[in-house]
Amino acid sequence: MTKNPKNTYLTDKKFPFCPGCGHGISINALNKALQELNYGPNDVIVVSDIGCSGLIDPLFATHTIHGLHGRSPALGLGVAMAVAQKQNKKVIAFIGDGGATIGLQHILEAARRNVDMTLIVLNNLLYGMTGGQISGLSTQKFKEIIDFEKDIPPFDLIQLTHASGARFAIRVNAPNKIKDTLKKAIETEGFSIVEAASLCPSYGMKKMNELIEVVADEEIFEHQRPATKIKDKETTSLIAQTATIPHKYKADLKERKGILIAGSAGGGAQSVARFLAMAGMYAGLDTTMKGEYPITVGTGFSVAEVIFDHQPINYTGLEKPDYFIIVTEDGLNKVKNKLHKDAKIYIDDKLVTDELKAKFPGLIAVPFSKMANRKSTALAATTYVLNKEQILPIEALKEAVSTHRLKDIFIDVIEKVVDLSQVSS
Amino acid sequence: METKTSQKTLIDGSKLMIEALVQAGADTFVAYPITPSNWMYKYGKERFPQFYAAPDEITTFQWMAGMSAAGRMPATSSAFPGIALMVESINMAYAMELPLVIIITQRLGPSTGSATTGAQGDLAILKGIISGGYPVPVFSPSNFEDAWELSAKAVETAVKFRTPVFLLTSKEMVMYQKSFDLSKLKPIGKVERPEPEIEGEYLPYKADQSLVPPFLPLGNDEHLVRITASTHDEGANIRKNDPEALANSRRLHDKFINRIDEFTFFDLDEQPDAKKLIVTWGITADAARDALQSLRQQGEKVDLLVVKSLLPVAPVIYDIIDRYDKVVMAEENLTGQYKEILFGNRPVKQIKQVNKMGNMIHPQEIIDAVL
Repeated sequence: MTKNPKNTYLTDKKFPFCPGCGHGISINALNKALQELNYGPNDVIVVSDIGCSGLIDPLFATHTIHGLHGRSPALGLGVAMAVAQKQNKKVIAFIGDGGATIGLQHILEAARRNVDMTLIVLNNLLYGMTGGQISGLSTQKFKEIIDFEKDIPPFDLIQLTHASGARFAIRVNAPNKIKDTLKKAIETEGFSIVEAASLCPSYGMKKMNELIEVVADEEIFEHQRPATKIKDKETTSLIAQTATIPHKYKADLKERKGILIAGSAGGGAQSVARFLAMAGMYAGLDTTMKGEYPITVGTGFSVAEVIFDHQPINYTGLEKPDYFIIVTEDGLNKVKNKLHKDAKIYIDDKLVTDELKAKFPGLIAVPFSKMANRKSTALAATTYVLNKEQILPIEALKEAVSTHRLKDIFIDVIEKVVDLSQVSS
Repeated sequence: METKTSQKTLIDGSKLMIEALVQAGADTFVAYPITPSNWMYKYGKERFPQFYAAPDEITTFQWMAGMSAAGRMPATSSAFPGIALMVESINMAYAMELPLVIIITQRLGPSTGSATTGAQGDLAILKGIISGGYPVPVFSPSNFEDAWELSAKAVETAVKFRTPVFLLTSKEMVMYQKSFDLSKLKPIGKVERPEPEIEGEYLPYKADQSLVPPFLPLGNDEHLVRITASTHDEGANIRKNDPEALANSRRLHDKFINRIDEFTFFDLDEQPDAKKLIVTWGITADAARDALQSLRQQGEKVDLLVVKSLLPVAPVIYDIIDRYDKVVMAEENLTGQYKEILFGNRPVKQIKQVNKMGNMIHPQEIIDAVL
């Protein structure tokens, strides 16, 4: 705690508010509350935003940060999360009812997170800086007077923040209760919110007793919930966790080759493409691997491209794959416009139609779906093609799958397909 | 067959960028999920000492700003729809002079567009993102080595200049995997942030000839710190348009422009007597490198400029371009946003544009434009 020889948290600047404005009451109350709690000025960080409530920024002889309309609860929570590991720092954010309307999400989020901070809502029922327009906190009684949107109720910030998990949420209307209320809020470890009725003599009521007639009722809610602790976690380098892939096998590759695997969600096309890319690396090749699937990852097509080259690969596009490995109808539908006569098209025999055969007479129909279950068909098909085309040694593919937790199943699939190929040839 | 020095692996740009940010000293990642930043989010959660799942992008940026003001070094990753929500808050952090890093993974627009299709369409918005036309540093990696080095440079620049810094990348850079030799990664040193010695009252926006004010965090035990986004003087006192406040705003411009050489990065692949130049940035650089190789094999004399510090535009970029008779500018967007930033909308006789949307530019398209 730092010293406060003057025992004030206010600068010598004159309050900038209209005569009779209620905001000054809350500011003086906060100054007194801090004096009684004996915080050092360097321990207090006052966060403000835009609107008449934002005019408080130059008034505080503490740390201050002055941001955007309606964002002080979020900006303040950022500060609170950053100082949470330091001793005895207190973040106090101010907002008006207009700011609370536009920034409601931030307030509920801060309540839910329950990090130690206090939010003071100066509710004068209107936008005082732009002409006295109504806010989301304007009460129906107030709106009856101005005869506008009187059937629409206000947000009840206190109930909303309580429902969201705030440790302490209170609405206070009587000016003489504000100081003690603020003291309790500041002493509360966790998120506290104090909504204080504030008079706007320019656009609202002229007198406090008129205001009291139209404000929402006082409310108080508490949760016995400890403040959320913030701590840095120890982490390890992502690079250190990334296994290198040594060159162990020989690949008989004359020029760049692109392979496109087309299957369905859940069919392993993406994993197989990754295994294939790794296998290429075990065989000393440069490689790229790209996947494509719908935003709804659990259904529809799943397509993956792999490129191999002895030379470094810069451009990663694959307009004309050299090999197609098509295992499902979803996959076929996705890639059929890419099929071309120069490619080797390996396709599950059940997907072959007369039309497709007429268009691509050289296509190679293979009963992939009989070689393995649905989840392993893409692996079986890829093994089959690698073995036929001798693009890479099968041992490299086995080495790649052996990094996976289901390696035994995968190796079994690969070996069965290789055996089958030997029998059939 | 394995050589001892090779450390090849299959890796993606997201992993390299997140790791580089952390090694350079970024300590907090805040994000809201969006494609194609998905892998950034995953790695950010795993690697950063603090990670927060924000409920929206405005909150994301406000939390980051609060954390930065209190001394942390935050980063986020988003795509255009999220960046659009952040714009007012980015202006706030810029005016407050808060160090932080924003990764943009570009995807096909306009609007929601196509979330899983790459693009280079968000440079123009960054040119004018700060109200008043103030410059903000924008770096764009052109390959995995850049993804690593520029991420570290982004942290360094953010701290050195007290500023938000953008890393402009693309879906094609951050959501695919490629064989890569980890031994190519240069070591990254953590950016140190020693607390400055302040004598007397701390004026948070009073700068020496460096034009960058010394940074003290909110909550400092010795000095009171005032931070504001409204037009202000050296002491963070809110002023309208009085000369002191306007001088402070002008300094926000000058600190970058007067020191632009300190954060200007590019690769110029030159050969003697070449009169043709390919200019590109970001994901199109890979196609340009292939095009360059092919053209040179055909006997063409042609050079390649890959620009990595896109904004503010460094005078050296004009100096280089002016040396050539024919310049091909290639970028994956509708009208050539970098070309328009450099030369406006008016066609320039010696410049030929290669622009495309929805697909990466193919090396052959660049070759055809050069020949």
